[in-house]
Amino acid sequence: MIQPATQPFDFETAYQCYLDGLLTNNREQCRLTFEQWLASNAELRTLYEDLVRRSLYEVGDLWERGKISVATEHIATAINESLLNLTYPRLFAQPRNGKSAMVTCMSNEYHQIGAKMVADIFELHGWRGYFLGANTPVKAVMALITEKRPDVIALSAAVIFSLDSLIRSATEIRSTFPDVPILVGGQAFRWGGRERIEHLPGVSCMMTLSELELWMKDSEKHV
Amino acid sequence: MFDDPCIAAALRAYVLETAPVLAICLDANLCVADANPQARHVLASVAFGRPLAEQIVDFDRTLDLPLLIKQSGVVHRLTLSTISGIPETLCFRFFPLSGGTLVLASLDFQEQQKLREEVMGLNQELNNLTRQLHQANAELRDLNQLKNQFLGMAAHDLRNPLGLIMNYSEFVLDEADELSSEHREFLQICLTAAVRMMQLIDGFLDVSVIESGKLRLDLAPARVQDILAGVEPIARLVAEKKKITLLLDVADTTRPLRVDAVKLQQVLLNLLGNAVQHSVAGQRVWLSVRWEAQSLVFAVRDEGQGIAPDDQKRLFTAFGRGGNRKTAGERSTGLGLTIARLIVEAHGGRIWVESTPGAGSTFLFSVPIHEQPQIQEPRNS
Repeated sequence: MIQPATQPFDFETAYQCYLDGLLTNNREQCRLTFEQWLASNAELRTLYEDLVRRSLYEVGDLWERGKISVATEHIATAINESLLNLTYPRLFAQPRNGKSAMVTCMSNEYHQIGAKMVADIFELHGWRGYFLGANTPVKAVMALITEKRPDVIALSAAVIFSLDSLIRSATEIRSTFPDVPILVGGQAFRWGGRERIEHLPGVSCMMTLSELELWMKDSEKHV
Repeated sequence: MFDDPCIAAALRAYVLETAPVLAICLDANLCVADANPQARHVLASVAFGRPLAEQIVDFDRTLDLPLLIKQSGVVHRLTLSTISGIPETLCFRFFPLSGGTLVLASLDFQEQQKLREEVMGLNQELNNLTRQLHQANAELRDLNQLKNQFLGMAAHDLRNPLGLIMNYSEFVLDEADELSSEHREFLQICLTAAVRMMQLIDGFLDVSVIESGKLRLDLAPARVQDILAGVEPIARLVAEKKKITLLLDVADTTRPLRVDAVKLQQVLLNLLGNAVQHSVAGQRVWLSVRWEAQSLVFAVRDEGQGIAPDDQKRLFTAFGRGGNRKTAGERSTGLGLTIARLIVEAHGGRIWVESTPGAGSTFLFSVPIHEQPQIQEPRNS
């Protein structure tokens, strides 16, 4: 149920209303809830983690268990992604800190919303978050690293089948650009896999946006 | 097992009534003889009794229905005209019967999947572009702010030395009697150029202050007559110099509104100055003020050469002046209308022009009336 503006904002009720909207492909219900959450002045990160990410994981689980169709899952993702646009006026109004991050999904990874949220969190903290999108070949990523010289590279894998591609790409990027920190993350790491990549020098696995924020704070201390 | 009459009946009922399959029976002439409810929902009623070929979109006229029927059970992707008017591409299978043909048509799931992925991809691309657009806008805002800071600093630092040049030029012109007429003329040119440069710098300062959000409107109750009192004598003087008549048409000058009177005077002087600059001797310039339900509208009309539509679009942007020349070769900074627009917009109003080439121009601006402020009349002691 959409909450009346006169009462204190109940985040759990809002989440359930949002999820219900996603599962019934009711874009309007989702938009209203999203806007209410945004207007509640909660931190943007909580909106990303407690509304968008949580709902994405739950929709994904329901799809994996055959409770919803792939079409419903696709539309839910599309609604989530398009509603993220509503955060941009606040997101891109943050003062810049002169640093930049390059965030991308590697070849054959078509689920980009997690990576986009990571790029947005960088923006929220004053970084320039270059977002390259889904299914980006490693050669294109390397060319852009050469051109933009980002302070950090973040690679995302949402499905477990993309892990190999991500590990190969990270290894290739590391050998060409030995000094740039590489962050990896995404839903694909929920069931393990970090040990397969964290042995690479300067590669860290980030499982949540809060971990990413801590990493950013830490890296700012060292500059 | 499928021979079981119950199963056969259930399958029959499912295919004919529930499954997303169009079942159409054709007679020996390949005309539509019967159809299940799903097919009836899709086909127009006029299709019944008519050849099925008429319902199939066949732009290049290569459809050979008898040949397709002979290839019993083979899938053919054909586009069917539907009752909604939107053609639908379906997978057709033809099964020849004695005295007719059974046609089964279903959605092309591969095609649907392909389309869905395409739409999802486009949606992602659109979202990414929206993100890039917001990012680029933010960068442009930052750059604009930087430009304003630079402009403000540069203009401020240029003002002092320029003031010195102007003061000493004036001093020498006034005091040095032994100057030759030629030297006096050179000095006068220097002074004129310095004055123009000072106007330009003042314009830059105004723009940088307003655009960087530092414009402070000194809002206070003011009557139209108070605003005009600071405008009319100056405008009349400038107009008379060019033998131009200034006419006023003002309704209810005593009603107060809450504005920055000095800033509005700046706007009016700019518009009136422009009107005079684009008029020739003997022409008239009107200043009118009218009250509307939600706003007060000022209008400055001239009988000059008018402004071409393409030029009108650029008028209120910096250096976006039109192609018309001033009638007496007057110079302007190209910032006046930009400053006017920014001041009017800061009041929550708007400014615009109505003009026909050869028939003069009218510049109008409105300021909203938020409330009816009270003016404290000075008490007679």
